[in-house]
Amino acid sequence: MDLHLDEDDLNSCVQCGLCLPHCPTFRVTGDEAMSPRGRIHLMREVQDNGAPLTPEVLESFETCVQCRGCEPACPSSVPYGHLMERTRETLADAGAITPLWQRAMFAPLATPVALKAGSAALGVAKRLKLVPKRLGLPDDLPLRQEPLEPTGTDVYFFTGCVMDAWQRDVHRSGMRVLKAAGIGATPTNELAPCCGALHAHAGLADQTRDLAEQMMGNLRDDKPILVDSAGCGAAMKDYGHLLGTTEAEAFSSRVFDIQEFLADHVGALPQVDPLDLRVAVQDPCHLRHVQRVHLATRTVLAPFVRELVEINDDGLCCGAGGAYSVLQPELAGQIRDRKVNSISAVQPDVVASANPGCSLHLAGAGVQTLHPMQIVDEALSQ
Amino acid sequence: MSLLRRAVDRVRGTDDSVRGAQDHTTDPLLDALIDALDPARVKFDDAQRSLLGKDASVFDGGNAGPICYPTSTSEVVAIMKIATQFDRAVVPRGAGTGLAGGAIPLGAPIVVAVTKMRDVIEIDEANGVAWVEPGVINLDLTRHLAPLGYHFAPDPSSQQVCTIGGNVANNSGGPHCLAYGVTNAHIQAIEVVTPAGDVVMLGGLDAEPDGYDLRGVFVGSEGTLGIATKVAVKLTKNRPAVRTLLLSFSSVRDAANTVSGVIAAGIVPAAMEVMDNAITQAVENYVNAGYPRDAAAVLLAEVDGPNEGIEIDANRIREIGLENNATDVRLAADEAERALLWKGRKTAFGAVAQIAPNYYLHDTVVPRSKLADVLDQIYAIAAKYELLIMNVFHAGDGNLHPLIVFDGRDEGILDRVHAAGAEIIEASLAAGGVLSGEHGIGVEKQAYMHLLFSDADLDHQNRLRRAFDPTCRANPGKVLPAGHSCADIQHLRSVPAGLWG
Amino acid sequence: MSRLHTADPVLDAFAKEVGTEGAVAISGAQTRWNTGGELAAGTRTITAPSGIVEYIPEEMIVTVRAGTSVAELHAELRVHGQWTALPERGGTVGGAIAVGENDYRRPARGDVRTAVLQVRYVSAEGEIVTGGGPTVKNVSGFDIPRLITGSLGTLGCIAEVLLRTNPMPSGQRWFTSADVNPFALHQMLLAPGPILWDGATTTVMLFGHDVDVEADRGRIDSLGTFTEVDAPTMPSGFRWSLPPADLQDLSALDTGVFVAEVGVGTVHAEKPQPRTPLSPAVQLIHDRMKAEFDPTGRLNPGRIVGGR
Repeated sequence: MDLHLDEDDLNSCVQCGLCLPHCPTFRVTGDEAMSPRGRIHLMREVQDNGAPLTPEVLESFETCVQCRGCEPACPSSVPYGHLMERTRETLADAGAITPLWQRAMFAPLATPVALKAGSAALGVAKRLKLVPKRLGLPDDLPLRQEPLEPTGTDVYFFTGCVMDAWQRDVHRSGMRVLKAAGIGATPTNELAPCCGALHAHAGLADQTRDLAEQMMGNLRDDKPILVDSAGCGAAMKDYGHLLGTTEAEAFSSRVFDIQEFLADHVGALPQVDPLDLRVAVQDPCHLRHVQRVHLATRTVLAPFVRELVEINDDGLCCGAGGAYSVLQPELAGQIRDRKVNSISAVQPDVVASANPGCSLHLAGAGVQTLHPMQIVDEALSQ
Repeated sequence: MSLLRRAVDRVRGTDDSVRGAQDHTTDPLLDALIDALDPARVKFDDAQRSLLGKDASVFDGGNAGPICYPTSTSEVVAIMKIATQFDRAVVPRGAGTGLAGGAIPLGAPIVVAVTKMRDVIEIDEANGVAWVEPGVINLDLTRHLAPLGYHFAPDPSSQQVCTIGGNVANNSGGPHCLAYGVTNAHIQAIEVVTPAGDVVMLGGLDAEPDGYDLRGVFVGSEGTLGIATKVAVKLTKNRPAVRTLLLSFSSVRDAANTVSGVIAAGIVPAAMEVMDNAITQAVENYVNAGYPRDAAAVLLAEVDGPNEGIEIDANRIREIGLENNATDVRLAADEAERALLWKGRKTAFGAVAQIAPNYYLHDTVVPRSKLADVLDQIYAIAAKYELLIMNVFHAGDGNLHPLIVFDGRDEGILDRVHAAGAEIIEASLAAGGVLSGEHGIGVEKQAYMHLLFSDADLDHQNRLRRAFDPTCRANPGKVLPAGHSCADIQHLRSVPAGLWG
Repeated sequence: MSRLHTADPVLDAFAKEVGTEGAVAISGAQTRWNTGGELAAGTRTITAPSGIVEYIPEEMIVTVRAGTSVAELHAELRVHGQWTALPERGGTVGGAIAVGENDYRRPARGDVRTAVLQVRYVSAEGEIVTGGGPTVKNVSGFDIPRLITGSLGTLGCIAEVLLRTNPMPSGQRWFTSADVNPFALHQMLLAPGPILWDGATTTVMLFGHDVDVEADRGRIDSLGTFTEVDAPTMPSGFRWSLPPADLQDLSALDTGVFVAEVGVGTVHAEKPQPRTPLSPAVQLIHDRMKAEFDPTGRLNPGRIVGGR
C-alpha cells in the first residue's frame, strides 16, 4: 500500500538504533515494533514491499505517542514526525485507523460553543464521579468562565480549544506576566478556535489544514502570536510544512512559545523576591523535541524561584501525547509511571509544565503541575 | 483491558478490507513457548519477524522464528529446553545495534530478546561490582551509578542504546578503552544459561576464580556459547579531573604520528580519537560543537585522573601535537563543551546520512605506528573504486573505522563497496593487524578468518565452542567460517515448510 | 598461509619434541610445580624454547618464548621504562601464564589474563596453534589466550606469547602504618594501588606522577601515621581466592598467619584454602574442554584444573 511517504525521507534512516532509548513506548515495552526504528521498518515494508496492514502493523503505528523524542537523538535527522503524521493520514483516509467515534471526538474542538457545552457537561459528570480518575481531568472543570479581555495590541495571545475551556487561568497568568513586561496582548478567542494538532496526530490532516487556513485568514498582520501550550505552538510552527505555501511559512515564523518570547524580555520584568520553591522543569515533548526551545523555560523561571532542578531522563515523554492518554491508556499509564518515578527522584516542591496535556496526564497520577507562567505570575503578585 | 480499547478493537474488527488475515496457525513449539512465558511475551506475527530479521548492520537474516521476551533466568532456561526439545536454534538479542550481523536470525531460529530483563539487581560496593540483567542499557547503568561516584568504563559509541548483554557478547570497546580496557576487563562474573538449559556461574567475585577462565572465554563469543542472564560488572570510580584537548592538523599523517608519539612517550590517555575532514564536517553540521571544518584531521585526546598530575600529561600531549605540526590546540573550557565534542564523536556514523543514505562501517585494528600508512592505502582504495570513504577511529588503540558512504540505489555500487571493504581488510592484516577490534566477526567477516588463522587455529576455536555447545544450538552460522561444524549453514536446523520459512 | 603464522624453526623443533603421542609435560623453573596435583608417573618432561623474539616499546607489546625467565624479560623491558603483569618470583613466562596467578602488585600492574594478547602452543596432535592477535583490541574469533592462561598446560604446550606491556609509573613508593583501617584506605584512594594487610599492619603502594604520589601521601596521613618502607616480599605458603568483601572478617576463616590483598581478595596464608568442587554443569564444560583439546589425555597428566 502506498503510504505516500517520501522515499528520500524513508531512506534517510540507517537503522543505527540510537533512537530506541528515547522512545517512550520502546522504553516501557522493550519491543522493537514499538520503536521509531521498528515503525520506520514497517512503513518500508508496507510501502515498498507490499506487506499487509495486519493488526500488529496498525498497532505499531497507533501506539506511537508522536512525542518526537527520537528526532533530536537521530544523527541522520530523519523527519520521523512527518513520516508518522503522513502514515496516519493515509491510514485514516483508507479507514484503517481513527474510526468514526474518534473523529466525532475531535469535531467539537474547532467549535467553541460545542466545546464549552461538552466541557460543562463533563464538569457535571466529573462532580458526579462518572469520569475515571486516571484520566486526570481537573477536579473542578469550570462550568462557567469569565471572558479574557485584551491588555493591548503588541502581540496575539493564542487561546485555543481545550486549554481555554479547562485552563483559562493559565492564559490569565500569561497575559498578566506579559503585561508586567510591558507587552500588551490580544486574546485570539474566536479568531483562532483550534490549532488542529490533535487532528493531525489522528491522521485528520485535512481538518488541520482547514483550521490553519481559518486562523491565518483571521490573523492577517505581522504581529507575533504567542502560545502557552507547547503542542499548539509546535503545530502552528509547522503550518509552513503542512500547507507548503510561503504565506504559511511566514505565518509560522510569527509563532512563538510564550517562554521563548519572554526569554528575550526577562530584563523587563520587575525584580521581586523569588518564591521559596524547588521547581522541577518537566519539558513537554513538543517544546523540547519539536520546537527545541525548552531552555527558555529555565531562563524565564530562574529569577523567580529559589531552585530549578532537572529531571534526569533526557526529556523522555510523559505519555500524554494529546489524545494518546485516552486512546492508549495502558501504555500511557506505564510511560507515566516511569516519568513519575523520575520526578520523585529529584524531590521537587512544584513541577512546572508548559503543556495542558502533560499537566492533565500527570495530575491523573497525583502529580500536580503548574504552568511556568502561573509560577512567575505568583512571584510577581506576592 | 479498558472499555475504550475494546471499543477500538470492535471498530477495527469490522474492517477487514485493509488488513490481511493474520496467520494464527499455532504449532506445538509456539504452544510450549507461550506456556513457558505468557502470550504477550511470545511474538510470531509477520511484522515482528521481519523487524527482527535485521540489526544495525547491512546484513539481512531473513525472518526470525518465534520471538521471546523472557523476564527471568528460569524463563530463559525454559526456552533453551524447548529449543532442545524441538531441535531449534536460539539467537540472543539485545538492542540490535551490532554492525557485524551477530544478532540476525539465520534459518528462522527462536530469537531471545533480553530487552525486558533490564534491572540493576544490586550494587555491591564492598566487592566493587554491580549485578545487572543483560538488557540494562550501558549508559543507563553509568547514570544509575553516578550518585555513588562510579561508572561502567566501556563506552561504545552506541552506549546510549546498547545493552550490557550485547557488550558482553561483543567484548565492546569505546573511546575510553584505551586506558581502561575493553569489556572483558570489566566483567567479574556471568550467570549463563547454556545451550542445554543448565544455569552456570562463570567467573566469580573472588580474586582468582577457580578453573578454566570460562568467563573470559564467554566475553566476546557473540552469543554462540549461551545466553547471559546476570552480569557482575566492575565499578570504576569517577575521576575528579578531566582535560579534553582538540588538536587540528593539516594532514591525517600528522594526527596519526601524534598518536604514536604520545604512546611512545609513555602516556596512556583515557582516549585518543581521530576524525578526518569529511567526517568532521558531517559531525559539525549535526552538533555545532566548534569542530574546525577546514582541518584535514582532528585529534580528540582526553586525560583524566587525580587533579595533580593531569596537567603534566595534558601539556605533554599538546607539545607532542605541536611537534607534529598541529595547527591548533584547544582545551575544552567546561563540561558542556566537552559533552558536545563527545556527542559529535559518538554520533559520527549516523551523521553521514546527510551525505548519502547508506553506509558500511568497517572495523580493523593495526599497529599504531602503521596508522598513517594504512590510512594512505585506504584513501587510495577509495579513489580506485570511486567511493567516498571517511575515517573516524580509536587512534590510541590503532582501531580503524573506515566508513564507506554510498547510495544503495546506484547501479552496481554494492559490488564496489564490498570489493573496497575486502581490500581494506587485506591492507590492515598486511600491516600486522587483526580483523575486528570491537564489532566482532558475526556473519560479516567469517570469510576473512582464513586470512588471519590457519585451519588448525580455527579448529581449536571450534573445539572451544563445542565444549559449551556440542549441538550448535546457540547462534549458529556466526563467527567461524564455513567448514567448521557450527558455521555451516547446512547445519542450521531445518524449518517446517511454510510455517517459519 | 594465514597472517599470524610465520615460519620459525625453533617452534617447529619444539613441536617435534612435543610429538603426537605419549604423556608429556613442560617444565619451567618449577616454582609452582605441583599446582593442580602431582604429575603422573612416567610422564616425559621437556622444556620450552626461550628468548625474546621481538620487543616494540612504542607499540607496548613484546613477543617472548615460553621458557624465558620473567626476570630476564622484565630486565629488558625496564630499559624502556615498561613492565608486564607477570609475577616476579623466579619462574618462567610460560609457567607464569600456565598457572595464571597474579603479582601481589596487581592493582598497579594489571591482570595476567589481560596481558596475554596472543598465544602460540603445540596441540596434543603436535600442531602449532595460534590464538588471539598482536593488538590490544581484538574480537577476531574465540578468545583462546584467555582459555590457555591458567590452564596448567592441560590444553596445549605453551611455546610463545605476545604480551601487552605498560609504562612504569614514574613514582612508586611504599608506606606502612599500624593504626589505619585498610578498607577505609582502599575506599579513599581514587585508583588504589596494592594494599597489603596482615591483621595489624597496613602497607600501601602509591604510584603515578611524583606529584600524584605526593598528594596521595598527604591524603593518607589523615587516616593514620605512615612511614616509608621498601617494597615488601610475600610470605611463601598457600594462596586463597576470596571476594574482596570477605577480607573484612578473616577471623572466621582458618588461614593462620596471613597477608591479604585488600580490594583484590587474594590472601597469602599459612594454611591452605578448603577445596570446593565445581558445580556439575561447570564441571561438565571443563570435562568437555579437556576432551576436545586433549582427547587422549597426554598433556600434563595428573594436573586438574578447577575444584581445588
